[in-house]
Amino acid sequence: MSSKPKPGKDNFTRNLVIGVVVGVVLIMLVPTLISNRTDTSAKIPASVSAERGYGIVFNGELTGVPVLNIYEDFQCPACGQFEIAQGDYLESLIEEKKATVVFHTLSFLGTESVLAANAAACSADEGKFLALHKMLYQTQPRENSGAWTNESLVAAGESVGITSESYKKCVNNGEYAGWVNNVSASAAQEDVNSTPTVFINGKELKRGNEYYDRALFKAAVERG
Amino acid sequence: MKELQLWFGLLARLVLGGVLLLAGYLKFDELDKSQMAVRAYEMLPVPLANFIGIVLPFFEIGMGLLLILGAGIRYSAALGALLMAVFVIGISQAWARGLSIDCGCFGGGGQVEPGTANYLTPLLRDIGLLALGIYLFRFPQSKFALDKKPQSADIEKGI
Repeated sequence: MSSKPKPGKDNFTRNLVIGVVVGVVLIMLVPTLISNRTDTSAKIPASVSAERGYGIVFNGELTGVPVLNIYEDFQCPACGQFEIAQGDYLESLIEEKKATVVFHTLSFLGTESVLAANAAACSADEGKFLALHKMLYQTQPRENSGAWTNESLVAAGESVGITSESYKKCVNNGEYAGWVNNVSASAAQEDVNSTPTVFINGKELKRGNEYYDRALFKAAVERG
Repeated sequence: MKELQLWFGLLARLVLGGVLLLAGYLKFDELDKSQMAVRAYEMLPVPLANFIGIVLPFFEIGMGLLLILGAGIRYSAALGALLMAVFVIGISQAWARGLSIDCGCFGGGGQVEPGTANYLTPLLRDIGLLALGIYLFRFPQSKFALDKKPQSADIEKGI
């Protein structure tokens, strides 16, 4: 820094610095661009449909019923409010086969979202997605506070009755990490810019009261 | 007078470069959010917005470093000013169209609840930074810069 400017055109250091900065930025950028693409070879849970944006699908076989696509992040506080307001209703829609419901577990809030989404996919293989989904929102910690680890997610699974060794392995190995990335990439293509976001029959539900009021949400679903 | 100008040049570099570096740093490991932020402006086709959401933080870090180190000041200041001009346009159009979005300038971004969007602060900040960028493009000479050669050649070319 303190070297005296030399007369003439000694710009070697300056050119070197420009070269290094531009080079390092490109070296970091290119792999990032590649890894943000969908990886079609990633392992996916049985209930996931690549055609439905890699979401976890309930009642995919039904026809003539409303199709709900729900984009959420397990760490997002508004998604917690949405689950509290509409969780039971969504479960009843699924149980009574009155709608196709697709959950897209995004992870834009950080690494703990990735862990939670992976665990949710593992629970789907055990047929316990809805139970774990509810449990995670009921015990939702502050964002990235360190509360959600593979260990605590295994424990959360146990608390809703998932005791199998395969779930434990699936969580600990992050078996669906590639899938979590695919869910994000697919939501980016769908222009989802906030969570929770709900599409009813392909139409985005406008941000506002309908998300948090049972009667209004039910009316919106029944309108289709 | 000349001396004062050199010090002001340094200040301008550190402010513009520092803001760019910070903005890039806060975004580069949250690229899902960065893509979301760019999409929410509803100015670009979705695939292009996603591409820019990934590239932008890296671009900001690179330009911020070059400005702080004072290497290629004219070019990095010109690109920085151009970027700020784009941000000013983006924020203004979002405001004018009544979109409810977070500026996403330093991480974050995306849609927010109607009525909670704040456009004035980022708009004023970016206009100030745009002015610094234009100043540095016009007068790139400053203290503690790696650029040594008087850049009259660049000025003659007129860029």
